[in-house]
Amino acid sequence: MRLLFLLPPLLASHATLAETVTDAMGRGVEIPDDPSRIVVLHEPLLGVPLADFGVDPVGSYGRADDGSSLMAADFYASILGDDAPDPAPRGIGAVGDIDLERLRALSPDLIIGTELDADKADQLTAIAPVYLQASSSGKVRGFETEKQLAALLDRTDAFEDRRAEYQEKLDRLKPIIPPGQSYLAVIVHDKINLVGEMSGAIQAIEDLGYNRLPLKADGPDNALGSTFAVPISSEAFGRMNPDLLVILSSYAGASHDEAGTRAQLDRVMPGWERFLKPAREGRIVWMDSTKVATPSIASAEHALDAIEAWSAQASKN
Amino acid sequence: MKPARATDGQELVHFGHLQFRARHLRAGLLLLGVAAALSLVSTMIGVTRIGGSDITALLRGGLVDDAGFALREVRLPRIAAGFMAGWCVALTGAMLQSLARNPLADPGLLGLSQGSMVMILLLILFAPAAPPMLLPFAAMTGALAVALALVLLVGRGGAGGLALLLMGIAVETMLSSVTQILILYSPPDMSYALSNWLAGSLSGADPAAVLALLPWFLFSLGMAVWLGRSLSTYDLGQDLAMSLGENVNRSRPLILVVSVLLSSAAVTAAGPLAFLGVMAPHLAGFLSPASGRPRLILSGLMGAVLVIAADMLTRSVSGELALPLGLSLTLVGVPLFVISLRLRALKTLSNR
Repeated sequence: MRLLFLLPPLLASHATLAETVTDAMGRGVEIPDDPSRIVVLHEPLLGVPLADFGVDPVGSYGRADDGSSLMAADFYASILGDDAPDPAPRGIGAVGDIDLERLRALSPDLIIGTELDADKADQLTAIAPVYLQASSSGKVRGFETEKQLAALLDRTDAFEDRRAEYQEKLDRLKPIIPPGQSYLAVIVHDKINLVGEMSGAIQAIEDLGYNRLPLKADGPDNALGSTFAVPISSEAFGRMNPDLLVILSSYAGASHDEAGTRAQLDRVMPGWERFLKPAREGRIVWMDSTKVATPSIASAEHALDAIEAWSAQASKN
Repeated sequence: MKPARATDGQELVHFGHLQFRARHLRAGLLLLGVAAALSLVSTMIGVTRIGGSDITALLRGGLVDDAGFALREVRLPRIAAGFMAGWCVALTGAMLQSLARNPLADPGLLGLSQGSMVMILLLILFAPAAPPMLLPFAAMTGALAVALALVLLVGRGGAGGLALLLMGIAVETMLSSVTQILILYSPPDMSYALSNWLAGSLSGADPAAVLALLPWFLFSLGMAVWLGRSLSTYDLGQDLAMSLGENVNRSRPLILVVSVLLSSAAVTAAGPLAFLGVMAPHLAGFLSPASGRPRLILSGLMGAVLVIAADMLTRSVSGELALPLGLSLTLVGVPLFVISLRLRALKTLSNR
């Protein structure tokens, strides 16, 4: 009989502990009430947006057991600076090869992956609930990933505060940008890639009023083109003439500054400075992809800084 | 089990209707022993400390928490999947080498693995939401299409093993270009994940994956026994095989289809294990020269041993260094392969 009295409060307390939501792959996932030990399966796409509104992941790919980065770029440190997670998230195995034992040793209460991690979800569910966030297949753009993650973790207020800070910066810069101008953004790896719509950089550029120059390889018909990057030929790149050409350094390279990116472009496309019209007319903004490539407000702010610096330099000339 | 003697004086052992030479049986038992020893050591490699008492507790069904998770969900499934995938690829290699009468034939060289990979990549890239259970079917469709193309291109009956091998190389080259294009134009993260899988990986091996691979392993055991005799006649050459009553028009497509099914199952579980199909039969032949059923079984066991050893190496450095299974397999197998070839060459020289 006493059980009958105990049961309703027990059930009620369980109801407040977890909430079932539907993830990007249509899976029902039980999210703990206040997850404090989150492991992300993608640092730039998921970890940085989380840390941007104050939720520090405890583990992610490409990190050693002491939290040091094993990748060419440490996105947390590069983008968030002093606000980067401290202590740094610990590693869960080499990139592309999750070590389930290492992952379990972190005692996660929630694992967040992208839709590309769908094949691992069942296996990882044995450790903690796995939520798959739309991030990689071109269905989200700009800050949507960060906004959706904030809603998932009940941190919408923190996200709105960050967006207000960004808006303030944007409002300060917008009046000096001429209206109705076009832009294109490329990232230079071992070849030139057109940058799609899912980075903070593109959100910032479009918020400033720039319109994407239409290209054949881009648009809703090309699912791959609407994600982060899609290769384009050097010939197509040479013909580009947007009002603003944004060139991102490769995050896989050793040097991310303008000089390093110029050197990389020299290797991929010798003589580009002579025949690329925006180069001849000083309409190129150089950006560090380790700062601006993630779909986070912090990346968008770095992009605004780069455009502000270029604009100031251009007005001096 | 009844001991007897063959006409060349070698000791024979009978299991019902099956007959093996004693030295093949000893080699098989040795490989099984090595596989068991490696498996035992492999259960102790990883972040979670596991000792003999944990394994005893697991056998009694009383192991829980970290050690239980590590053994049940990670290490034992990897060992089992590695054993079965290695067995299937090596068995396929041995079958194709007999069929083509060429020691270089393997599922990779004939394009069967590439056929599987292209179909898996197409499914992952263009239907990312497709359920994972479709992957084996995609792999089999791709490999079957390649096998069908080979049969049609080579023609019925008359063409020999070399024609099959050359046509296989042509198909493989074409399909590997398709694979590279698909990887190049996929989104960067997916491209990285696909490249990683193409280098071989047992990271997806969980109890469900082991259960999915088990029927193919059991199927391969039956096929090794059934097709062993046919393959021993193929070892003598196609003309002699036909004169011995082998219906090559029926058995050749059948062997190809079995190779397709087994290599597809292995590719789905562990990615393409390049060179294993060539290496394992050679090493098995070095340990105990054989043909027919014993060759298939010894090759399969050698493949299983090599993959378990390679996975041990991968897991022992995992954490900071990404060592794909394919690379570990090369590091473990190629030195053995080279040594065996040198020893065989020296033996040939000393016999002259």
